Amino acid sequence: MDMPEKSVPSSQDTAFKVVDCDVHPYVKDGISSVFPYMPDAWKQRFLRKRATVGAEARSLKYLHPNGQVNREDARPPCGGVSGSDPHFLVQDLLVKNRIEHAVLNCLQTGALCSTLAGTDESIVLCAAFNDYLIDQWLKVDNRLKFAMSVPSQDPQAAAAEIRRIGKHPQIVAISLPLLNILMGNRYWWPIYEAAQEMQLPILVHVTGPDSIFYGPPIAAGGIPDSYVERYVTLNQAGESSVNSLVFSGVFEKFPNLKVIFVEYGFLWLLPLLWRMDRTWRQLRHEVPWVKKSPVEYVHKHIRFSTQPIDEPEDPKDLDKLIDLMGYDQLCFSTDYPHWDNDMPGQSLRGLPKAERQKIFWGNALTTFRMR
Amino acid sequence: MAEKKQHTVGKTTDFPVGKFKIIDIGGREIGIAQLKNGEFRAVRNVCPHKGAPVCKGPIVGTHLPSAVGELIYGRDGEVLACPWHGFEFDLLTGDELIQSGKPTKLLMFPVAVENDNVVVTL
Ligand code: FES
Repeated sequence: MDMPEKSVPSSQDTAFKVVDCDVHPYVKDGISSVFPYMPDAWKQRFLRKRATVGAEARSLKYLHPNGQVNREDARPPCGGVSGSDPHFLVQDLLVKNRIEHAVLNCLQTGALCSTLAGTDESIVLCAAFNDYLIDQWLKVDNRLKFAMSVPSQDPQAAAAEIRRIGKHPQIVAISLPLLNILMGNRYWWPIYEAAQEMQLPILVHVTGPDSIFYGPPIAAGGIPDSYVERYVTLNQAGESSVNSLVFSGVFEKFPNLKVIFVEYGFLWLLPLLWRMDRTWRQLRHEVPWVKKSPVEYVHKHIRFSTQPIDEPEDPKDLDKLIDLMGYDQLCFSTDYPHWDNDMPGQSLRGLPKAERQKIFWGNALTTFRMR
Repeated sequence: MAEKKQHTVGKTTDFPVGKFKIIDIGGREIGIAQLKNGEFRAVRNVCPHKGAPVCKGPIVGTHLPSAVGELIYGRDGEVLACPWHGFEFDLLTGDELIQSGKPTKLLMFPVAVENDNVVVTL
């Protein structure tokens, strides 16, 4: 494949619209930046502990082979890690690529909530990071939308956080830092209840410590031995979760709940659905609350982001597989400012125009709470 | 196809060894770098994979194919690593280091040194 000189969405098509459902803001100085957004007693605790959170939460063997997950070429001119300056991000990502809505998902908060912080610490930090981003980022530009984080180690506190800020007009989803508890488990239900009440979809994304520490989901079969190996297996928690959500009856219990799996890949969905459907036909009576084919639940309630798009040798093979999956399931995402990001101009260019537009625009509008 | 032209882009000393300087030539972004062997390279600043500003990536060496558990470092200063997905390109030839499947290739332009001036043809 050879690249056109300039990368703009769908060549010169100005009518082409883009929602980016995976953008990562970084709170520049980590925990110390959010001190003004927490009670003083907690600030004193973190100060005394010299608490920090960097851009990444991983042990030596999983450090990125090129030094960092964030793109070096996307560093803001004023310094700091890529993704830490909202004004630069608006120019570098939204303006350059004509993106009309970008859904922000803060992985620092995610990593603290899933793994790095204790339960009470995570509740305080989650609220502080959420408030910081509302205050310092969302006000910068209305195109910036927000998947608010929740302190998932305490589902009741998570539900309270959703009810505390979930009505903010730029909040469009709930970023749920997963633990090593499958998504259908009743542990999560208070969060789903609050999400449904607020008409917000649940967005899940790896938070960083996945398969590294005890706490977040761990890849099947054991611990991988390198960054490469781990990266390839990150989709596994997505597959297990789709399966768990359907068979545990979550969508019967919460009929208006939507879930979007971000950065878990999507090409595995087709064989997974075939297998789920067949097994359901064989053994439905074990889970009698599953009243429809798993395929129907997934099509109605679950979406997947596109990045990182797999790249078969012949790109047409990818187009064929998407055609088999149908065009309702996918929402375009860049994953800016990460090294493995996909930009709209280079993505899924072989799809028919109307279907491509659905993936880049229409599907996101019916998934996120965009008004 | 427009006629090719020669463009003097600076003195040899303007281009430190091992780092791309990106300049605009007639609306096209071109990265110019001097390699360790003294040769110059002029590379279109668009990665053939997915369009990243490839010349903003580092010029590095890399670990060559080796036996299991062994590391052999080589090609120091001859490899360009894309700042996005990390594809590695051989700056001597423009080829992607991995040659299986459908390898991509950097677009390079002829570059010469004339009286200490660096001259690119495109
Ligand atoms: S854009 Fe350069 S490696 Fe993908």
